[in-house]
Amino acid sequence: MMSDQPLLKIINLVKHYPIHRRGVLLKKQIGVVHAVDGVSIDIDPGENVGLVGESGCGKTTLGKTLMYLEEPLSGQVIYDGINMFDAFHSGDTKKIHMIRHGIQMVFQNPYTSLDPRMTVYDILSEPYIIHKHVPKDKWKDTVYELLRMVNLEEYHAERYPHEFSGGQRQRIAIARALAVDPRLIIADEPVSSLDVSIRAQILNLLMDLQKEKGLSYLYISHDLSSVRQVTNRVAVMYLGRIFELSKTDELFINPLNPYTQALLSAVPVPDPERNRTRIILPGEVPSAINPPSGCRFHPRCTYATQICRQEEPSLREVLPEHLTACHYAEKFL
Amino acid sequence: MQKETKPESSTTVKREVTAARGERRGASQWAVAWRRFRRNKAGLAGLFIVLFFVFIALTSTWLAPYPSRSFQALYEGEAGQPPSWKHPFGTSRAGLDIYSEVLHGTRGDLYVGVGATVVAILIGMVIGAVAGYSRGAGSDVLLMLSQVFYTIPLLPLILLFARVFSILVAQGFGLTLILLLLGVFGWSSISFIVRGEILRVRELEFVQASRAIGASKFRIIFRHIVPNILTPIIITATLFIAGNILTEVVISFLGFGDVNTSTWGITIQEGITYMRTEWWTPVFPGLATLLAVLGFNLVGDGLSDALNPRLRD
Amino acid sequence: MDVLLDIQGLKTYFFTEAGVVKAVDGIDFHVGKDEAVGLVGESGSGKTVTGLSVLRIVPKPGRILAGTIRYEGEDLLSKSEEEMRKVRGSKIAMTFQDPTTSLDPLYTIGNQLLEVIQEHRKGLSKEEALEQAMKLLEMVGIPEPELRVRAYPHELSGGMKQRIAIARALASRPLLLFADEPTTNLDVTVQAQVLKLLEELRDKLKMSLVMITHDMGIIAETTQRVQVLYAGMVAEVAETPSLFRKPRHPYTEALLQAVPRIDQRKELKVIPGNIPNLINPPSGCRFHPRCPYAKELCWQKLPQLEATDDGHMAACHFWRELSLRGV
Repeated sequence: MMSDQPLLKIINLVKHYPIHRRGVLLKKQIGVVHAVDGVSIDIDPGENVGLVGESGCGKTTLGKTLMYLEEPLSGQVIYDGINMFDAFHSGDTKKIHMIRHGIQMVFQNPYTSLDPRMTVYDILSEPYIIHKHVPKDKWKDTVYELLRMVNLEEYHAERYPHEFSGGQRQRIAIARALAVDPRLIIADEPVSSLDVSIRAQILNLLMDLQKEKGLSYLYISHDLSSVRQVTNRVAVMYLGRIFELSKTDELFINPLNPYTQALLSAVPVPDPERNRTRIILPGEVPSAINPPSGCRFHPRCTYATQICRQEEPSLREVLPEHLTACHYAEKFL
Repeated sequence: MQKETKPESSTTVKREVTAARGERRGASQWAVAWRRFRRNKAGLAGLFIVLFFVFIALTSTWLAPYPSRSFQALYEGEAGQPPSWKHPFGTSRAGLDIYSEVLHGTRGDLYVGVGATVVAILIGMVIGAVAGYSRGAGSDVLLMLSQVFYTIPLLPLILLFARVFSILVAQGFGLTLILLLLGVFGWSSISFIVRGEILRVRELEFVQASRAIGASKFRIIFRHIVPNILTPIIITATLFIAGNILTEVVISFLGFGDVNTSTWGITIQEGITYMRTEWWTPVFPGLATLLAVLGFNLVGDGLSDALNPRLRD
Repeated sequence: MDVLLDIQGLKTYFFTEAGVVKAVDGIDFHVGKDEAVGLVGESGSGKTVTGLSVLRIVPKPGRILAGTIRYEGEDLLSKSEEEMRKVRGSKIAMTFQDPTTSLDPLYTIGNQLLEVIQEHRKGLSKEEALEQAMKLLEMVGIPEPELRVRAYPHELSGGMKQRIAIARALASRPLLLFADEPTTNLDVTVQAQVLKLLEELRDKLKMSLVMITHDMGIIAETTQRVQVLYAGMVAEVAETPSLFRKPRHPYTEALLQAVPRIDQRKELKVIPGNIPNLINPPSGCRFHPRCPYAKELCWQKLPQLEATDDGHMAACHFWRELSLRGV
């Protein structure tokens, strides 16, 4: 059930990190990491949008900035009609609470995302202490309900994080995100630290929860295979910019960007019968401090020409609901 | 491990797997650490010594045969006597019963040792916390402040202040003065530790998760960060106590101590001149110092081992 | 097929404060000449410890308790430390998962390569050794080797560090390379480069490769034969295409069904439960608590590795009866 208004609207978000050098007395800024350099996406209610890219592409920074864990340089984020950064800057508590209720995050590392000094009960009831949206006599029941939702047992509530396996900890982290009854969950590499046989448990849990509660996700991952299974739409990021954005199956079957093509072909397929031609990219991902001129991918691109070196291609719709940032996108149709 | 039925639900599986991990005893960090500490014989010995001294400090008024700084032995004609049944540690030339002085001195030294540490920790934690948690110029300034204080040579400065405030010393506030001085000039290493730990913990994801839920800065600092940085502070505190006791002894030994209160240092200082003939006067308080410092050090080491290993299996 | 490495009944345990961790609990494993074999498993499967055991670099509190490891006919477990040092690097080499920690941050790349080169070929002058080092860097595709030779590890990217780690491992042309999760910490596109490099090197140097990984995709694309490990024991051995097409062990089937693919949407089948505790492993077959086909025999008796009718080896009581799904 989709409404007209996207749940989350990201408009030209920019986040840079300054690089300092220690002087004798003061620090001096000598450069800037262009972590996120102008990103715009919409997420509709009930949608699962994947964000993929390699290290340094800015996907984690984007996630953190959306949670307002980092202060952006410029750009806007509109959550359910509320201008997020304005709300935080103005200190409008009502709006801030709506945002904190609405968007939650699940982090990558299950070993550091839970406070080792708190019991599971404390961790899951903390949101109630802060937001006071559940009366104290109902806390126990609500915590048990949360545990059940993530397929854990009631007796787990009195335990400490270190008594659980990685997969179980991740479930606790998911339960915590659910405690405020959010509408959007940003999942930053939620299964990368887990064993293969456990990943399916967590991914399926996320998908089940989505169906049950009508949640939206921003699924950030470098694991393209899992992105294929769980998302409706995918955005490919490279050096702080979005290079391609379309419906999931469409992107994987018909990539219209040389970077996406190389990325997809690089992933090994667990099937020895599949013969594929691999596109091997030369070089490494360049540093985000001094991104290449023009199209950021041009130094590694086989199709690069003069215009690619000079002019940065904008993200444009080449097929219905399929956007790509490449001067020669039409070649791949 | 027997099972009656096929693994049907994942619940049964989980119960079993968790059961296989062993019965649950107290699982908080502290319970685990205590169990580990218990196995460390040196640490236990140290703890025993420390508790022993604490007991004496608390009961010295009743345990000691003679009151503090009482020269009664002189009037009884028993000054300068070697250890005997009446005076187990002998008497000083001036007529002090060394056994009583050592007992009373325990209170004095623990007062200074623990007190100075408490002051240092309070100051160090506040400064370290602000330096660690805030960003920008304030944090840098506090860091520089800590560095300045760190490099100040402690002893000469304390001696100077003790001389300057000699009136207070003469009025019997000597120990408190020393305590304050040790605390006020000793906080810098604590602030480094606190700052470092906060920098580390601040970026950990569970702190970010709390921010994401909407926790206030206050809550984040006191509910999340502080409990997670206590470990190195506790260990340092134990070692600090040992160091401060030693420093008190040195200060008194150098003649800057408070003659009106019983401390090990004063007793040593008074007896050192006649060490050849009346060796018992400096030696017994010296042994007490040694034992106390050793005790606290062993506890500190034991705590370090018990608290440090990461609790992941 | 000529057998290069033959391991029988290997047991390596870790004697920790918490108990005895049976990391490798009876593994048979062999590698032929010029063969690429996969050792696949999740954490706790014993795949890394197997490699460490062969080179006898198992860290304390680990110890090899039982078994034989024969390399070119010689028993490695009976060799002295002095003799093993001659084997390591020159006959059998190993690369590790994190190239950042396997290279010493205090020495330049050139220095570290020279160290290895001169260790195994005494009598080389410094210039000759340096030349060898540069040739190695070229061989692993490092551009401008003359410059890189002076670089320190922290100045290089992950991909380059891994290549250099490979170069160092191959400095003395070993016949057998254990590559432990060589691409896990690398970006996807860099991973493709490194895998291609390993393939080319294998071809050029006629080297055998043991690919230790948890990634079934890498197994499919780089190995000819594969051994599936679970909780310190072997679950299944087979030629790679056959393993994927028709697995004979429930764990293999479960793994294949749980792994997502980039080229199609599929339902991810959950494997319930968790990786078992290696101090107190489940009785009988270690996979039984999570196995959908488990019967009473499974937790009463440990299944032995048996030859199946289609060339696999499977450690399952019911391989004959079960008809398992492949990809």
